[in-house]
Amino acid sequence: MTIEETLAKLQDVTAKLDRDDVPLEEAIGLFEQGLTLAASVKEQLEAAKLRIEQVLEETKGTFSLDVFDAS
Amino acid sequence: MTEQHVYTVSELNRGARELLETEFADIWLRGEIADWKRAPSGHIYFSLTDGDSEISAARFRGRLPVSPLLDEEIQPGTAVLVFGRLTVYEPRGRYQFIATLVRPVGAGALQQAFEALKKKLQSEGLFDPERKKPLPTFPRHVAVITSSSGAAFHDIVSVFRRRWPVARLYLFASAVQGDNAPGELAAALESAIRFSQAETPLDLVIIGRGGGSAEDLAAFNDEALARAISVCPIPCVSAVGHEIDFSISDFVADVRAPTPTAAAEVTTPDQNEILSLLRQQANANARRIRRVLVDRREQLDRFLRPATFRAPRTRQETLSQQLDTEIAAIKRGIRRAWQRTATAEKQAGALLAASNPHRPLERGYSITTPVGSPVPIRSADELTAGTTIETRFKDGRATSTVDEVTRE
Repeated sequence: MTIEETLAKLQDVTAKLDRDDVPLEEAIGLFEQGLTLAASVKEQLEAAKLRIEQVLEETKGTFSLDVFDAS
Repeated sequence: MTEQHVYTVSELNRGARELLETEFADIWLRGEIADWKRAPSGHIYFSLTDGDSEISAARFRGRLPVSPLLDEEIQPGTAVLVFGRLTVYEPRGRYQFIATLVRPVGAGALQQAFEALKKKLQSEGLFDPERKKPLPTFPRHVAVITSSSGAAFHDIVSVFRRRWPVARLYLFASAVQGDNAPGELAAALESAIRFSQAETPLDLVIIGRGGGSAEDLAAFNDEALARAISVCPIPCVSAVGHEIDFSISDFVADVRAPTPTAAAEVTTPDQNEILSLLRQQANANARRIRRVLVDRREQLDRFLRPATFRAPRTRQETLSQQLDTEIAAIKRGIRRAWQRTATAEKQAGALLAASNPHRPLERGYSITTPVGSPVPIRSADELTAGTTIETRFKDGRATSTVDEVTRE
């Protein structure tokens, strides 16, 4: 799941948890799911490292990618 | 025999003046300032040269349309365009150019071309708001079209590293000033579009450069480049120069950013904001869980009350206190878990342990529900003889049939 998808899912879980008639067992399940989703976003953000490539179009439609050293 | 006409000096000068004024009225003259003097009267006397030839000129105070020109802008050597007529100053028999307008060539010419192109593209509808594509909230694959050695790319990289390192940047390098720049920029943009179609779908293009003189930024006022941007199917942000610099590319792009740094900022979510949002949400969810728990405590209370009524008073109090102690422990457990644990994973484990609804069972209570329902039976009123009920204990469950219901 991308971060975007995970955040959307999390929104969904929170909305469900916010309903008045949610039974305790389900609420706890949702709460746990929410924490797992949040943890996954956090993990993805912490693991992310910006990738930079320089693209050259050698002939029309043929591309070569070189890692760009931006340090 | 006709005698040849003999002119007086005045007559000749007047004749020459009339001739020149008819032939050279309302003309543009280009040259470099050779001499520039403002007389106490407010008139300005100057001369123009093109290196080989020179002409005297004057600009009379009060006769002129207001010119934005300031004296300090006029230095010997400044290339100017002047508008006016040629005439003869009769008392001296000197001919001179009477200027009604003087403007520096460089900036003025660029500015005129800029306004003309802007007007043209605007009338074609290329700046219309309904043409503007929305930017992605979470950009993944971002093309950057700029110089590989300029400050602009460096600035964009820094912002992405800080705010949104999840993205991947694709640099399509191009000259950003000079005669080749407009063509190279348009070619790089077209290359990025082909790359997006053939290789990796791009969800954002940033095109621009850092600050410079008006001439340095002129490539971004090119008509062909503007048209290439206007048909780009990928959302496109133009970021040229500083806050004060506006380019044609700014008007045709989906979004104008005042600088390359700002372009990276408006197109990225901030990971720190996301993390703080997650924390807020988790806190709200924890509050919500606590409320559900309090509701459940009331349910349990009601459920246990019939039993406690049967017991001696001290037993009632003991049971009720135990229940309160139980609930308080659950709440404390949640609060402690929340404050103590740093990571969400830990929070999950600790919270679940603390808030386990089955914990009262471990202390020897049981919960009775209709068979197949999770909702506890809270009142004798809910039962009739013959109903099948399920009773849950800490280590199992029993199904029984109600023989008799007694109200108390």
